Amino acid sequence: MTRLIDVVLEDQSVLLYRMGELTYQTLSLSIRAYIDGLTVQNQVRDMSDRLMIMAEKVEDRTFELIARFQPVASDLRTIKSYMKISYDFARYGRYALDISFINDQLNGLKECNSDMRTFVEKMSAKVLQMVAISIDALHKLDINLARSISQTEQEVDQMYIDHLQKLFDEELTNSKCILSSTLMARYLERIADHAVYVCESILYIVTGEKNKLR
Amino acid sequence: MTTPTTTQQKENLSQPDPSQQPITADVIDATAKMQAINVDAWFGQKQILKTVNLTVKPNSVTAIIGPSGCGKSTFLRCFNRMHELVSNSKMAGQILLDGKNIYDRQIDPVQIRRRVGMVFQKPNPFPTMNIYDNVAAGLRLTGTKKDKNLDDIVKHSLEQATLWDEVKDDLKKPGTSISGGQQQRLCIARAIALQPEVILMDEPCSALDPIATAKIEKLVIELKQNYAVIIVTHNMQQASRVSDYTAFMYLGELVEFGETRQIFENPKNKLTEKYITGEFG
Repeated sequence: MTRLIDVVLEDQSVLLYRMGELTYQTLSLSIRAYIDGLTVQNQVRDMSDRLMIMAEKVEDRTFELIARFQPVASDLRTIKSYMKISYDFARYGRYALDISFINDQLNGLKECNSDMRTFVEKMSAKVLQMVAISIDALHKLDINLARSISQTEQEVDQMYIDHLQKLFDEELTNSKCILSSTLMARYLERIADHAVYVCESILYIVTGEKNKLR
Repeated sequence: MTTPTTTQQKENLSQPDPSQQPITADVIDATAKMQAINVDAWFGQKQILKTVNLTVKPNSVTAIIGPSGCGKSTFLRCFNRMHELVSNSKMAGQILLDGKNIYDRQIDPVQIRRRVGMVFQKPNPFPTMNIYDNVAAGLRLTGTKKDKNLDDIVKHSLEQATLWDEVKDDLKKPGTSISGGQQQRLCIARAIALQPEVILMDEPCSALDPIATAKIEKLVIELKQNYAVIIVTHNMQQASRVSDYTAFMYLGELVEFGETRQIFENPKNKLTEKYITGEFG
């Protein structure tokens, strides 16, 4: 039996999936531009703003759903999680904007050696993979896929720690490179965290359990 | 039971006598105010309740939810031996009040109904009595005479039922002259006047408007400071608002029982999920 709430929930689901697609495009663009030294700040800002507007729409619909339908059980968990995920997606957008900012202000990787470039490329690939998993797992409500994100998150965390250690150990003198790469690594690590949050929300929607994947 | 017919007597012989069934110590919950243990109930040959177990904690509100005909009102009436007042009814299992079986032969059902009060779906003040007498009626029947003490109990009961301020100047008016919501609170005051330990409520708001419903719901939450409350309701939101624990019944069985937050956020049973989200009912 189709319930009245199902129609609005479906709209919410579609909106969230569109957010997911835009999120991935925004991050891909921003990260690629950082690695290649291209200026995309205006474009990324526009995309990030759109994500914020979409997140607000999800929030508005959440309150509408609660007010009109008094959801419980899986409906309630879904609605609550959708709002949380929309915030995570909006955060992806803001980190994409931050990355485009350090690209413009600190010359991206132009002042860095090839090792640093390789490191950023490798970490970026892992993080984009995590973002893709989080979006795909949400679309399919696939808890196994959601759980699979854990391993990559640990690898990303380790890469971030290794990067900081390297800065301590090696006598690097190029302050722009140090600052740029460290901020980039930090943003990537935070994006990875949000990918994990999205996957935790998916587990909560499906199982009702509040599991930590980190 | 009310004077059973010969047929009933024969039927009763084939059913277990709840007063004679031993209580197994390991199933008794020492923290419970009331506890239903393996309760079965019948109307004639039709079995309404099937091995229902439930624990009611003191100073808590327990909601019983479920689709029409699932047995929730019958179950509620077992808690103060009102089920047996219906002709052709039978019951098996035990209901404990402070650890003692209320169906024990030595127990007087009238005393049980004094300790376990009941509020019904439709407000039912005594139509020939004024507001004061409606509250005092039960007390007079149990021997409390008209004196200062009775006045105090009536006032206190009306205050507890959050009705005093609205009727204090109209105590001599007929109980049926006030609004439906006020009448229901009057019935609650009448139940409170007997100083019960548990209050049973059978869909107490189903005949009330939203404002009156909100007042009763607020009152239910206040009442749990002094009593254990068991409320049967069809209104999911009401159950989630007022209760600490929720029991979901279906086809005479207790499907799921747990803390209200858990039942409404993450029910363990698929049937519960389907019922509370409106997939059936």
